[in-house]
Parts: sequence; structure tokens; C-alpha cells
Amino acid sequence: MADSTEKNRRKQKRTKSKAAESTFLSKKGKPEKKGRMKMKGKGKGRDNDQRKRRGGGPRLPNVLRQELGLDTKRNSSSDSDSEGGEDVRDFYELHEEVAQEESGKNRRFDEVENYEYELPEDFEDEEVPSDEGEDDEISSGKSDYEGDEEGGERHLRMLQDITGIPKEAFDGEKNKREEVLVSQADVGSESVTIHDLLAPLQGMPGYSSLRKRVLQQEKQPMTLQAPLRKSERDKVQRKVSDKFARKEITKWEGVVKRNREAPTLFFEQDQNLGYSTVGAIASGFEPRTEFEKQMAQLRQDPELVEAYKNDGARMLELNKVSVKDVMDRQNRLAKMRSLLFRHEMKAKRIKKIKSKTYHKIKKKARQKAASAELEMNPEAAKLQAIKQEQKRAEERLTLKHKNSSKWAKRILKRGLDVQDDATRAAIAEQLQKHEELKRKMNSMNDNDSTTDEESSDDDDEDEDESKRALKALNKAKEKTAKVLEEGDEAPKKGLFALPFMERGLKKRQEEAYEEARQALEDYDATLNQLQDEGEEGEEEMQQNSSAVKVTGKRTFGPAKKTVAQEYNKRQRLDDFEKNSDSEEDDGEFDEPVPQIVEDKNDKTEGVQLGTSLLDEEQVMAQHSIFRNLGDMEKAVGPKTTYEVAIFAGDSFRKVRSDSGHSNKATTSSVKHTSKPSQETKETDQSYDTDSDTEMVEGFLTTNLSADQKPDYELPSQAELVRRVFAGDDVAAEFEREKLEILNEENPEAEKPALVPGWGQWTHVQKKKGLPDWMVREHEEKKRKRKEALKKRKDAKFDHVIISETINKKAEKLMATSLPFPFTSKEAYEGNMRMPIGPDFNPVSALSALNRPEIIKKPGLIIQPIEYEEVDPHETPDQPKRIIQGAKPKQSSKEKSKKGKSANKLVPKTLGKKVKST
Amino acid sequence: MGEKEESNEPQALNPASNQEEGILDKLEKKAKKYLRGNKTNLKNLRDKKLKGQLEVREKIYGNAAKVAARAEEWLKPSEEGLLEPENPLERTYRIQQSSILPEVDVLSVSKAFDMKLPDLGPYTIRYLSNGRYMLLGGQKGHLAMLDVLKMDCVKEFQVRERVRDVVFLQNDQLFAVAQKKFTYIYNRHGTEIHCLKENRHPLKLEYLEKHFLLVGTNNFSQLHYQDISTGQVVANYRTGLGPTSVMCSNRYNSIISLGHSGGKLTMWKPTSGKPLITMLCHQGPITAVAYHPSGNLVATAGMDKKVKIWDLRKFEAIHSIPGHAQTLDFSQKGLLALANGSRVQVWRDKGSQDFGLYMTHGIPKGYQIGTVKFRPYEDVLGLGHSMGFSSILIPGSGEPNFDSWVANPYETNKQRSKKEVRALLDKLPPESIMLDPGSIGMVRERQRKEKLTKKEIEQQMVEAVVEAKGNVEIKNKTKGRNKPSKRAKRKQEEVFNAKKPFLEKQRETKEGPQQKKRRVLLEVAEDLPKSLQRFVKKKTM
Repeated sequence: MADSTEKNRRKQKRTKSKAAESTFLSKKGKPEKKGRMKMKGKGKGRDNDQRKRRGGGPRLPNVLRQELGLDTKRNSSSDSDSEGGEDVRDFYELHEEVAQEESGKNRRFDEVENYEYELPEDFEDEEVPSDEGEDDEISSGKSDYEGDEEGGERHLRMLQDITGIPKEAFDGEKNKREEVLVSQADVGSESVTIHDLLAPLQGMPGYSSLRKRVLQQEKQPMTLQAPLRKSERDKVQRKVSDKFARKEITKWEGVVKRNREAPTLFFEQDQNLGYSTVGAIASGFEPRTEFEKQMAQLRQDPELVEAYKNDGARMLELNKVSVKDVMDRQNRLAKMRSLLFRHEMKAKRIKKIKSKTYHKIKKKARQKAASAELEMNPEAAKLQAIKQEQKRAEERLTLKHKNSSKWAKRILKRGLDVQDDATRAAIAEQLQKHEELKRKMNSMNDNDSTTDEESSDDDDEDEDESKRALKALNKAKEKTAKVLEEGDEAPKKGLFALPFMERGLKKRQEEAYEEARQALEDYDATLNQLQDEGEEGEEEMQQNSSAVKVTGKRTFGPAKKTVAQEYNKRQRLDDFEKNSDSEEDDGEFDEPVPQIVEDKNDKTEGVQLGTSLLDEEQVMAQHSIFRNLGDMEKAVGPKTTYEVAIFAGDSFRKVRSDSGHSNKATTSSVKHTSKPSQETKETDQSYDTDSDTEMVEGFLTTNLSADQKPDYELPSQAELVRRVFAGDDVAAEFEREKLEILNEENPEAEKPALVPGWGQWTHVQKKKGLPDWMVREHEEKKRKRKEALKKRKDAKFDHVIISETINKKAEKLMATSLPFPFTSKEAYEGNMRMPIGPDFNPVSALSALNRPEIIKKPGLIIQPIEYEEVDPHETPDQPKRIIQGAKPKQSSKEKSKKGKSANKLVPKTLGKKVKST
Repeated sequence: MGEKEESNEPQALNPASNQEEGILDKLEKKAKKYLRGNKTNLKNLRDKKLKGQLEVREKIYGNAAKVAARAEEWLKPSEEGLLEPENPLERTYRIQQSSILPEVDVLSVSKAFDMKLPDLGPYTIRYLSNGRYMLLGGQKGHLAMLDVLKMDCVKEFQVRERVRDVVFLQNDQLFAVAQKKFTYIYNRHGTEIHCLKENRHPLKLEYLEKHFLLVGTNNFSQLHYQDISTGQVVANYRTGLGPTSVMCSNRYNSIISLGHSGGKLTMWKPTSGKPLITMLCHQGPITAVAYHPSGNLVATAGMDKKVKIWDLRKFEAIHSIPGHAQTLDFSQKGLLALANGSRVQVWRDKGSQDFGLYMTHGIPKGYQIGTVKFRPYEDVLGLGHSMGFSSILIPGSGEPNFDSWVANPYETNKQRSKKEVRALLDKLPPESIMLDPGSIGMVRERQRKEKLTKKEIEQQMVEAVVEAKGNVEIKNKTKGRNKPSKRAKRKQEEVFNAKKPFLEKQRETKEGPQQKKRRVLLEVAEDLPKSLQRFVKKKTM
């Protein structure tokens, strides 16, 4: 018994140690498979062990064994085993084999002598020694060194025999091994020691409880952590690395954010284009060819350099100039300059000299111009005369051309006959010149008597007195008219063009005008008288006088005449256009004699300062009809009365205007009141044509009085009526119109009507009236219309109609939906409110308003982003952000050095350099 | 009477800092003007990125406004001078021209003058937008172009036809004249360049600078828009309200206003055949209209003996002046001139749209004033009347500082031609004329009648189905007939009916007309007896 228990214990120990080993292995993190393989191997060994055990001892039925208590320990150990290695299946299998098949608790199955999978009992493994001792030995030797002390002894002896060295020498080794084992045990499993400790306590009071506790403790899972799967391990690894990477990347956040939020990024680093100056290029020169190398050698030859230096110094000495030299040089220069100047002057003079023919031609031209001037300009003629007079006086005084010169005297002395022809001719010429000079000029004021003559040549002798008088009067009139006409011209330049002078002149002219006009009027009066007297005169005479007569047909102002004549000319050129107006004009302008139709006194009376603007009642009473610009042409003064011709219907009608007419006009207009205002639209056309003729009249007859109004407005009567009485019920009309428009846009709901017979079966239904749905629909429609009307912009105003029609053409100028980044209309419109064009902003603000997101010079290479520390809480204050600041050119070493130092001075954290604009 | 003077306030203890503060305050005030509205409220924005961007943008705007305000100090050195009474009993409208003239400088004195042109009838006048040149149009055919700066007659000629209106085109090189039958365009040498025969019997002309549009009304009560850079007739609309010669353009938005005999004021743009706004302004015919340069105020004169000033934002008459006026004009600084007969009145906004009489002037009584026009950039009012032309001094009427990019009275030929090219490049299309030009570029509001998107249609369908489901009325029927299957069927039917119109519409939009035809034919074929079906099919195949 004791033996068996001991065996069991040993086994237990073994398994424990194995378990410990396995855990140790797993802890070490060796690959799982390997561990498993080993286990399996061990398991096999165990199997073998078992088999051997079976084979070794008499095989007892399990029950018996249990009774014997033999199996309990083993079971417990196996239990512990299974507990110890839960993950390892092999142990379970082992246990189950024993537990179920072999125990055969209910004995349901027949007992089988030998299972197929069991080896026969007599099976002997050749290699394994069958005797127990050996078995023990081996098993113990495999696992424990403690067990085979005898073997160790033998071994020692053997060693002693072989080596001849005393046993003690090897004993140390054994001790060592023991030590190692102890230490191994210490390290490997504490439980073993506990059990060892417990063993001596067996049988002592309290042992069982202690043992229980120990067992319990042992039952605690001694988990063997399976190594993580690769994917998970990778995941963990990634997580960690991600953490680091994140940390690394987040530091860029600030920079990137700032760049992203900056409205504009500037990339303005200057491109380093390499060498830019000749010097820079030359300094970088390296000799390559043989020749170049030689040259370089020569140049850098110390001797040569030295010599050059010395020479240079000498040359500097030579640079010194004496005062005298300078003076000399200056003098020489001055001389040269003066020579040059003189030459230039000479050239100028020579250039000025013109040829003889040139002068001849020029002189001729001058004379011609002068003569023309004389003809055209009386003043010039006068000047010329004065000059001539001077010359004459001079000639008379000096007698320069009267053979008084030396040359002439000498020739005369010799005698003219002796001289040749040319000399004689010269003398004669001189005398001629003298004569010419001495001759008295014709005075400027020679009379145009010739013009006087022509007028009266075609006069009939047998004309009677009255006729002659008439003619004389006519002539006088004509002349006054002419004078008046001429007087019109005012100087446009010089002193007389000044405004006040002009005004003064005008005043005087006006006075003269008035006088002339009065005179003219007198003539007219007398002419009229004459005409009345000789009314029964011939046809011819009447024709003549018609121009003079105040027929009322045509009236011209003096200023008109030129225009008229001009017009006539054009008419002729135009081959008499068949325009009625022009014809009419033509006819009128053919009349040669103008007539003045303005009464000065009347006019001055009219030109009194008005009392006030606000006394309209009076004005209105005067005119009875509102005036506008169109009417004004007729109204110069209230009291003036003139005769005019107007075109009414087909014929000319002479109208003598008086106050009675205006009354007539009012009455006539009152008569028309009954006509509705709409009628006027129809009559518009006729009014148009009428107004045209009126217009023609307006052009022809200059000064019309206010009192002609009725005649003038005759054609546009309807229009006037409409104007006057349009205001009668405008409010009602407007209301009606508005309603119409409203109805057009939101038609009124139709009243539901029943078609007789439809929807009715009997007369009973009739009494009920309309069906419910119809009424409901109608109500709905009405309600909708009301709402629509309420929504209109002009719903609140009675006097306003605002069109609600959509303008499709204008819609394309608006956005259909909010543009992308905006989410609210308010924000969008707020952003759009400010004009950003050059017309609305000062230049200095303009660039900021229209700056693009990125500014870079063409060809600039954008460098990768650089790290810089950024305060995350700072607001993007500067609208500009410079990414690549301008760096100084690296053209020369010094410069670059400076640049570097400057760069160093600027802390990186500041980063932004704001270009000041 | 005295020149405007700023009273010096008592100085505080620290005058220097006070002054500085004052200057800063002023700058801020000015800058606010250039900010063009309030800063956008970014608090409600969720998008941080957008918020940041907008903040930066706002900052740039603020800087730009400040720079502009600072520039104003140097670019707008002078202020307009107004007549100001020295004591409360003094009235500025009592001050006569004769008392102003000796007080002002020599140059200004020369600006007041009269031209007697008695023969060729009432004159209409028009200034060029830079105030340098003036056109005189005598009704009886007398046309003259004057250089009012140099006091020189550029060209004077006769057209021998009735002249109804004159107007300068883009610069002094061209001007249009409404003559008896047609509108003519002349150059500054009096050469006839064009005869615009499209608009017959023109009554009144108006020129829209930025759009290069010549607008005219005619005797057939039409409104005629013609592009003078291309010669195209942009629009020709019948007003249907009778012929009128009362027309004025709004400088702010280029809207044309017409005054009609029914007391109505209509506002037009070239892209709509109906008036944008019709306002009943007077009980009688309208005689004159004028727009304030800001574009918000319009003055109308009617024959109901009233002159009204309207605020177009409220459509309300903010001021009514009793009396007639044949002609009206607003100056650059917002003075309103009105003339009747031979009297002229000038009204001034005394602050917060309170108009008061500022000056009066009378010309000899017989004369009838036809046109009043303020000369731009000068304190001068031009009067075209039946006996010629006269100009008077109205202190404080003109803008004292001119912007040479906008209008330069002293421009050289080169500048002029450059500006012309620039203007042509910047020419605005006629569509851009609208009541609120600020809405260009903004998001347009969805109109009711607009086409719905697919999503919206689907949404509608779902809503309709839900409603239909809820609304199914199922009567309790007699025992045996009240089957649940029938109820379910009924419900289904109802839902289908609700869906039907949407589905049909969808199908219609999907299929083209040909496909639809085919489908219909096939449907018809189904109804036909089988023997006949093949014929239909043949047709459709």
C-alpha cells in the first residue's frame, strides 16, 4: 500500500512538474504548436507508462480498485492534472478513458476481454523493460534524479573505475546536480514544497483542513494564456503605432488649419535663377580647356599679380593732372564749342535764305491776298490807304525816285541818248514809280451811285401818284427792314463779346429796333390808307401790294427773312417736294416783303413782374384752360393782340383775335362735357394730323398771342376736353381698373349653376337648391381668391396697383437656389450686399476685396509644407498668409550669409510675415 | 443771409483727445454709409467654416468702408452751401437773385444770365450729365448746343420743323431731337446722323445712360425703347392711357414713369408690357413728374392744383404743395424746383422729409416757363421759357464734388472717348431694369405657379394618400354586407384614387406626345373586338 501511494505521489509530482513546465513554456511565449507537440509526446509517454503499469501489475476491475483506494489518488491526481491543464485535451481524454469505459458503472454492456484499441495484455514492448523496478527506474530516471541514487552510486563507481580518480572528485558533481535540482524545484513549483512540507504533518490534528485548503488553492486556475492570434497582435501593434502617428500628425493640425482658414495664401519666394550679373557669372568661371588653364595660371601667377599691382599704383600716380593741363583742356573745349555754335548759326542763316523765285511768288501771293482783303475788308482798305498816303508823303518829301540818286544823276550827266536800252528803261521805270507813288489815292468813300440807278429804271411813267408813293413807302420799308436785319449781327469775339458789353449792345440794338419798327408801322399805316383809297386798282397793283398789305395771311419777323430765303434755295434744290407743309412754307416765303408784327408798348406792358406764383385763380380765370408747354407758344402776354393766319380745315382763315374767342372756347368745351373721356382715344388720330399743321403754323408765325387759343385748340378740342374733365371721377375709374386687373390675375369664382335636369331626379331636389359639394367648392374658391388678394403687395393701398406678373427675363439675373457654402439666405445676401468693383471702392481697398485664394508667381515651385508651431487659439487675423516668404537672392555669398542671419533672427513661431501694402 | 457756418462748441478739458474722438466718430459714421447695410448676423450659422469665412469677409468689408470714409475726406473736400437765415424771422425765399449776385464770386456771377430768343418759341432745355453742355430746343425748329462752362455756342442750327424735345445721348457728341415726325440724332456739329423712323410723332424723350436706351413717348400713346448702340427696338408698348408728354426716368433704377390724363402715374420697364406700378396721384391730369436722385421720392404735379411728393417705399404722399406746376425738377442735392407761368419756386428738404419753401424767382410776367432743369455739379437752375432761356443761382442745389469716373465737366477728348468705350463695355442689358435692382444676384423667391420638383410631387402624393386614408367613410351596412374584405377594398380604392392624378401627371411628363398617342391607341384597341384589334396595332407599330 505504502508503495502504491508513494508511486502515486511520485506520479503526481511528475505531472505537476510537467504542468509547471508547460506553463513555463507557454509563458515563455514559445510557439503554441511546439508546446502541444511536446505535450503529445509526453502524453504518449504517459500512455506507455500506463500500459506498462497495466501490463506490469495484475489488472483489477475499477470497482475493486476504487474500493482499494488505489484509484482515488490517481483520480484526484488526474483531476488535478485536468485542472492544471484545462486547455490541454490529452489529459481529459486520459481521464475519460478511465472513468467511463473502464468503470462500467451500470454494467450495461457485456464485459469485453480485450478492446480492439487496447493492446493485448500479453503484449510486450521489446524496448521497454517489463519488470517493475526497471520501469520505476526508468520512469524515475526520466523525471527525477532523486530516485536513482543507486544508479548514481553505480555511475560514480564506474567513473572511478574508468578514470581512476577517487569518488569524491565526482561527488561534487552530484552535489551540484542536487543543488541545481533543488533550485529547479524552488523555481519550478512552490506546491511541491508545500506538499513536501505537508507530508510530515500527516496525522497531526488539523492536517486535513490544512490539506483541504492547500488543495483548494491548487484548484485555483493556473491559466496558461494562449498567445494572441496574429491578427489581434497586429491590431494591438497598429493601435499603438497609430497612437504615435496620431501624435506626430496632430502637431501639424495647427499649421494646416491656419493655411486652410487663411483667405489667401501667398507663395512669393523669389526663384533663384542662378547667376544674374556678368560679374557673378565671371566669378564662377572655371578654366577647362588647355588654353584657359594656361591663361588662368598666368593670371594667378604671383609674380604677375605683384607686378600688376605695382603697375597699378604707378598708373594711379600718372592719373594726377596739373592745373595747367586742365585749363588747356577747358580752353580747347570752349573754342571747339564756340566754333560749333558759329557754324550752326551760319547754317541757320543760310537755311533761311530763300531763292529769288520763291520771293517772287510770295510777293505775288501777298499782293493778291492784300487786294482780296481790300475788296473784302473795308478796314484793311483803310489801313492800306493810310499806308499809301504815308508813302506818298515820303515820296513827295524825299523825291527819291525823281532822278535824285547818284546813279541817276551820273547817267543824266552823260546823257540819256548815250545809254543803252536797259538803262533807259530803268530810268523810265524809276520815274514811273515816282509817279505811281506820288499819285493821290482814290478816297475810300466812293459812292455806290450805280446801285441807286438800277432801282428806278423799270418804272412806268404813267403810274399815278399814289402808286409812286406806295413804291417809295415800300422801298423805305424794305430798307428799314434791311437795316434791322443787319443790325442783328453781333460781334462774337473781342471786347464786344463780353457778356455785359453784349448786353449793352443788345439794349441799344433793341432801342433801334423799336424805332425802326415804329417807323415801319407808320409806313404800314399809310400804306393801308393808300390801299383803302385805291381799292379798285388793277389786279397787278394788288399783287404788288399784297406783300405790303397786312392780309393776316403771312406775318414775318425781320429775322425770318434770311432763313426763308435760305429755305427757298433748298426748296429749289429739292425740286419742290410734294410735302404740303413745305409747299405752304414755300409759298409764304416767296413773299419778298417782311412785316413786323410786334407792338412794343404792348409788350412792355406784358412784361411786368408777376405778383406771385400762387395767385393761380387769376391765371386760371384768364386762360380758362390749363396751359402746358404746347400752349405756351401762343401766350406771350395777356394783352397783346395780333393777327395771325391759321390753318383750319382746307383753307386759310383770317382770324382777328379778341377776348370774345376765349369765352367761346370755354363754352364750346363745356358743350363737350357730356362726351365720355374714352372717345378721345378714337379722335387721337385726327388730333395728331391737326397738331401737325398747327406746328407748321407755329413755325411760320412767330409771335402769336394768347388770344388765338381757341383757333389753335380747335383741332385738339377733344383732347382738351379729355384733359379738363379727366379728373372728374378718376378715383372710381381707377378702382374699377384695379378690380379688373385683380380679376384678371385671380378670376372670381364662377357662381355654381345647375343645368336643368342634371343631378336632379325630381322636383323635390329643386327645393333643396344646389348640392352641398357645389356650394362647398364655391366657398373654397372664394376663400382662395380672398387669400390671394390679401397676399398682394398692393392689398393695403387703394391708389396703387402693383403688377404681380413674373418677369422671366429678369429671373436669369437671380440665383435659383442658395449657392453652395451658404446655408441661409440672410448670410448670402449679407455677403452680397457690398459692391467689390473698382467703381465703388478706393484703390487701396480694392485688392483686398478681390484677392484670389492663392497668389503665386508664374513658374514658382511650391515647396512642401514646413512645420511651425501655431497657437491654436489665435484667430485668423491677417487676411494674408504668406507661405513662402520672399528670400533674398543667393547671388553672392555675402548676401546669402546676410539672408541667413536675418532668417535666423526671425523666430519660426512667428512664421507669418505680412507684406505691408 | 449768411454763409453756412459751423458753430464751435465749447472745448473740453482735453481738447486734443476730444478732437480725435470726434474725428473717429465722424469716420465711423461715414464708414457706416459705405458698409451698405448692417453686418450680417452670423450667430445663427452652424457651419463653422462658413462662419469663419464670412467673418473674414466682413472684416475686409469693414476695412474697405473705413478706407472709403478716409478717402472721402480728401475726395470730397467741399460741402454744398445753402442759404441760411441769420435770425428766425428771416426767410430764405425772400432773397432775390439781385441780392445774391453781388455776394458771390465772379465765376458764379457769370453763371446767371438770360438769353432772349423771342422768335423761335418756347424753349426746352437739357443738360449733359456732367453739366458741361446744354441743349436748347426751340419749338419752332431752333436747336443750339452751348458749352456752358466756357460760355460758348458749340453749334446752332435750324431744323425747320417742330421740335418737341431734346436729349443728350451718352456724351456731348450726340443728341436726339424729337421732331415733327421722327426722332433725329445729330452730332455736335449739327450733322444728322440718324433718323429713327420707328418712333413716329415723338412727344418726349428720355435717355437711360447705363443701358444705352433712348425712350420716347409718341402721339399714339406708345412707349418706345430703342437701343442706340445697336439700333434695335428693344420694346414698344401701348400704354392704353392716351398720349402723354409727361415722362421722367428714375436715375436709381432706370424705371420710366409716365404721367397720364387720368391722374395716373405709371412706371415701366422695357421687359414688361404692363406697367409695374400704377398710382393714382391726382384728381386731374398729371402735368409733370420728377424723381429724386435717391430714387425713393417722386414729385408729381397735377391739374388739381397740387404738387405732391411721394415716397415710393410707402406709396404715400409725404408732402403736398398747393399750386400748379408745369414742370418739375429735382436737383442732385434734392432741391425741388417747380415752375408755373413765370414764377419758379424751389423747395428744400429740411430734414426727415419735411419740405419747405427755399427760394422763389420770377421772370417777366408774360414769359411762360416750359422747362426747369438743374445744372449738374453747379448751383444753377436753367429755365427754358417762351422768350428764350435764363439761368439763375440756387445755392446748394448741385453736388459740389464731382467724381471724374462718373461725370467730369472738365474731361478731355481722350477721357471722353475712353469713358465711352468703358460705358459700352459696362452696358447693362434691358432686363436689368427693375424696381429693385438690389435684388440682382440674390436668391429669387419661388413663385407659386412654378413647376414642382419630383420630390415635391412625391411628397404631395404621400400627403394626399394619407389624407385619403383618413377620410375614408365607411358606412355600417346591414348584416352580412359589412365585410372586412370589402372595407379593405374600399380603402384601397380610395388611396388609388388619391394617387391617380399624380401618377397620370408623372406618366405624362415621362412619355412624349408620340408615346402617349401610342398608349391611347393601344388602350382603344383593347376596347375593340378582337377581330379589329390587329388593324390598330398595325397602325401603331
